[in-house]
Amino acid sequence: MSSKDPLCVQIAALGGQGGGVLAEWLAEAARHAGYPGQMTSIPGVAQRTGATTYYFEMYPQAHCSEKPVFCLSPDADGLDLMIAMEPLEATRALENGLITKRTTVLSATSRIYSMVEKSVAGDGAIGSDILFEALEGAAKNVALLDLDTISAKAGGPGNAAMFGAIAGSQILPMTEQDYQAAIRIKGVAVEASLEDFAAGYKRARAPKPVEPASTSLHFDKVPAGFENEIAALPEMMRELAAHACANLLDYQNEAYVRLFLSRLKPFADAAGDLIIEVVRRLGSWMAYEDVIRVAQLKTRPGRLARIRGEIGIDQEAPLQVTEFLKPGREEFASLMPFAIGERMMKKHSSRSTFGMALRLPTTTVFGFGVLKVLAGLRWWRPRTYRYQYEQKAIECWLGAVEEAMKIAPELSFATTELAVLARGYGGVRARGMEKLDELFTNWSDKLANDPVALKIEVEKILNQARHDPDRECGKQG
Amino acid sequence: MSAALKALTRERSFAREAEKLLLGEGDEFHGEAILAVTKALLQAGVSYVGGYPGAPVSHLMDVLADARDTVLEPYGIHFEQSASEAGAAAMLGASINYPLRGAVTWKSIVGTNVASDALSNLASAGVKGGAVVVIGDDYGEGASVIQERTHATALKSSLPLIDPRYDMPTIVDMTEHAFELSETCNLPVLLSLRIRACHMTGSFICKENRPALRKRQNTALSPDFDYTRIVLPPSTYAQEKAKVEERLPAARRYIQSNQLNEVFKGQGGRHGIIMQGGTYGVVMRSLSRLGHGDVFGNSDIPLLVLNVVHPLVPEEITSFLEDKDSVLVVEEGHPAFIEDQIRSIIHQADMSCTVYGKNVIPTTGEYVTPVVRAGIATYLSALADTVIAKKTKERNSAIEKRVSVARDNKPGQPLPPRPPSFCTGCPERPIFSAFKLIMADRGPLHISMDIGCSTFATLPPFNMGNTVLGYGLSLASSGAIAGSLDQPAIAVMGDGAFWHNGLATGAINAQWQGMDAVLIILDNGYASATGQQHLPSTGATPIGEPVQISIEKALRGIGVQWIRHVDSYDIKGTRAAVEEALDVRGKGLRVIMSGNECMLAKKRRGNAIKAVALAEGESVRNARYGVDAEICTGDHSCMRMNGCPSLTLKPATDPLKDGPTAHVDNNCAACNLCGENAHAAQLCPSFYKARGVVNASALQRWRASLNMRMLKMMGAS
Repeated sequence: MSSKDPLCVQIAALGGQGGGVLAEWLAEAARHAGYPGQMTSIPGVAQRTGATTYYFEMYPQAHCSEKPVFCLSPDADGLDLMIAMEPLEATRALENGLITKRTTVLSATSRIYSMVEKSVAGDGAIGSDILFEALEGAAKNVALLDLDTISAKAGGPGNAAMFGAIAGSQILPMTEQDYQAAIRIKGVAVEASLEDFAAGYKRARAPKPVEPASTSLHFDKVPAGFENEIAALPEMMRELAAHACANLLDYQNEAYVRLFLSRLKPFADAAGDLIIEVVRRLGSWMAYEDVIRVAQLKTRPGRLARIRGEIGIDQEAPLQVTEFLKPGREEFASLMPFAIGERMMKKHSSRSTFGMALRLPTTTVFGFGVLKVLAGLRWWRPRTYRYQYEQKAIECWLGAVEEAMKIAPELSFATTELAVLARGYGGVRARGMEKLDELFTNWSDKLANDPVALKIEVEKILNQARHDPDRECGKQG
Repeated sequence: MSAALKALTRERSFAREAEKLLLGEGDEFHGEAILAVTKALLQAGVSYVGGYPGAPVSHLMDVLADARDTVLEPYGIHFEQSASEAGAAAMLGASINYPLRGAVTWKSIVGTNVASDALSNLASAGVKGGAVVVIGDDYGEGASVIQERTHATALKSSLPLIDPRYDMPTIVDMTEHAFELSETCNLPVLLSLRIRACHMTGSFICKENRPALRKRQNTALSPDFDYTRIVLPPSTYAQEKAKVEERLPAARRYIQSNQLNEVFKGQGGRHGIIMQGGTYGVVMRSLSRLGHGDVFGNSDIPLLVLNVVHPLVPEEITSFLEDKDSVLVVEEGHPAFIEDQIRSIIHQADMSCTVYGKNVIPTTGEYVTPVVRAGIATYLSALADTVIAKKTKERNSAIEKRVSVARDNKPGQPLPPRPPSFCTGCPERPIFSAFKLIMADRGPLHISMDIGCSTFATLPPFNMGNTVLGYGLSLASSGAIAGSLDQPAIAVMGDGAFWHNGLATGAINAQWQGMDAVLIILDNGYASATGQQHLPSTGATPIGEPVQISIEKALRGIGVQWIRHVDSYDIKGTRAAVEEALDVRGKGLRVIMSGNECMLAKKRRGNAIKAVALAEGESVRNARYGVDAEICTGDHSCMRMNGCPSLTLKPATDPLKDGPTAHVDNNCAACNLCGENAHAAQLCPSFYKARGVVNASALQRWRASLNMRMLKMMGAS
């Protein structure tokens, strides 16, 4: 047979990402240049935010006298070009056998998380690195595009920038002008699209694509006056401990930072990963989000400016910000002196969602003032019921970790992780605290008697805390 | 809301597509296949068109609805968006007594099932005018319905079934042939296109459109009474006989004499492939990849392409198989009707030929290229012709090897699925948040679910809705369960489902039986899942006539007393109404109408208005929700209560955080569900709603700056 092979292109997108328009542009570009081609799609109900797939085939000889027979689905090892508006969807094509050493992959770098990933309490997200690595290994060529930064207009769908990258990749035989003509013929947001197209084209022609910027963690510096204490810590925990100290100084005061540092002492000689985990969990727990802390964060300078940016208005434009707060018995009790608070919390059910549903207008003098007064109660915090309750719980947990280190070291890391149960607000947190209380009762006996069974139980609790934290309240999900 | 505004909200405007329907003799049409079929209907001179929207054939109806002035009226075509597929099939009754050509369309298998009563009667009575059903077969990847074959309906009702080769001129030809065939054999004809085929692009050379019969003849028809067309005994016995002895044989003669099925002889040999027309492209691609064909459709292997898959013409089969030892039948779906019939034809003709089919290609699932290529490779590798067998094996294993090497790189963890879900700001979602809270208090409830966007509640994060029995059937399916559970019957249906089947089969029956039931109607104004087609309660017909039929009045009319309206975004109010409905046992049918316009439609219209206002420098309000990342602890309770696509994750920058925090992205529609959930479930204080004004007036800006100055004195910025 003397004929050439058709060029096969799959486009994967999610509903709303402009995959349909991208596919139409592509088909139009080939048609404009005189290449026979055929496009199809399977949007179905998947257009409502699910994965959508578009498939395009063309024959690489313009104005061909014979008519090619095109196919409506790609073969395995059958793609010349895989376009993905989301990297997980590119990797799905790899899983389906469509991406091989024949395939050039153009993928957006930004993850759009699936419901399954979002539902996990904690970190259920699949990191882009894993996906990129898989694609790099399998495909002939991979170009990763941070469409958010390439696109001239932020917040746009990025499909025109991707279209430019397709042109720039030069896998298909059309010229830059053919692609641009397609945008004009289709007639949707022509000028903005041409601008994005040019940016995408340039990006794909750049000799060595820049690595996508991954979000890096931000560590605060050692607060003044604590340099020596931090320097005295084992090296691997210094950076994180310094960050935690800065955070706690902001949260309370120097004395509280010292309390944190003194609580770390028993773990100075522990294994590396355990130390880090203790610092992270303890630093996080000691800065528990009480009413005072929430008010402090909500009145933080710069917050309103950030929100203005989010809704796209300048610094002088009218702005209304409304907070959704629902203080209940727990929140009121948390501000009371210990004895009163304790009495208030007796017989309080963790299932209760009773409270005062407040819509607090932070952008009014009254609303901001209320939060500011609450934020100003930091001096009072150590006298509150909540403070004493939390410190007791923290001591109890740290004690449990210490005992685990002594009696059953294999359990010490998981025990540290149990602090995850102290996370959250409302019912989720209340149930977590109940669970901790129950677990740490007779802890040393449990450790000594049957560490194997205990390890299984702890793993089970951790697993539930991450994947199914709502279960105890009778919810199905 | 005005009808004109509603018209702005349709998912796509079809004005450009509608222009293509007016192309004349010799013009080149380029576009989607479903639109080409619509053009072919006009070329065939249809007098009426109807149908019920559903992917992948909704466009046929959407385009015509937008073309009242350009197509429907000038050509004198009667157009209806039928009440259901049964209604659409009944429309074809116009062709029983009169030489009127007509076509209807729906999604199959579900639409065919709903239509089957009318279809059976129609097929039995027989037609004078060409009656064609354009079937969108929703099978395989992206399908949203049960996986069954329309072929079974064709067999039992003796309906010719066309499954054309996916080449645009062939599809158009076959559509026109469908009318001729129908008139020749007096049977309604099914023309089936798969999802990918409906959306495929291509070109063909047009013919002139033919106006409807009335327009052509310019005289009215006179009423015709013919008892032999009535489906009552003894006519029915005669009709049954006619189907077998006259109509199907006439169909076979037409198929044969017009060579609707195609033979590609290839290089000859004692082997061959028989396939449904719709699988031709996949077969051809498989052959070219295995080295036995090229991209121009030249195949070394003999092929018989069945563009009409029912009825088969035995002579065509035996003549193709005359010199063959074996044949592969490529037939998508189960049961393998064609394969079995071919075996039977071979047996009856006393021939000897081994039939391959479901033994080498999987019985179920879509016949995409990898599946068919592997099956064809298995067949060809086993041939006595060693040249073919060897080449096939080499080519196929090279492909498989490249795939397996590439696949070795796939991530160690399984990739999460990405099913469809409620859109950003969807008004149908909040009620399931309310149900989560109710179930947290009362324990699980059995909820009978319906077809429509609300079916997505069965997926995470809600995981509720215990059964789905069909469109408009949720209430009907709940009656027998409730008594055995300690709860009233609870059914959820959309407004589309209510009008399709829910009023008669569900509400009237429940009211009549005094059923202890709670019906929740999600009233968003459109048939949203299929593209926001209009409904009787929308406010305007599909072609824009302002007519509105009230759901509430319909319910009051049948005597329902207990009806509550709730704002769908008001969780507290919804919850209270649902709990009240659950608790007033013994009061018969209780209905809660949870209403708000489909957010897609609302946003599309809002965005259009906003863009104009911004361009003209008028002041525009921007609103959205946000999350304070510092306050979010990352337990993601909000995700599990909500499920909104724009409520998502953001990697934490604070190393003390335990994983990503919640984040509201730019698509937020400010529907208020995040705030409502934060209150109702007492989630956390991270959420805020921000409202701002772009292009504010001087006075507004002055007041804002005064306010900001005071806040600044208190430390804000």
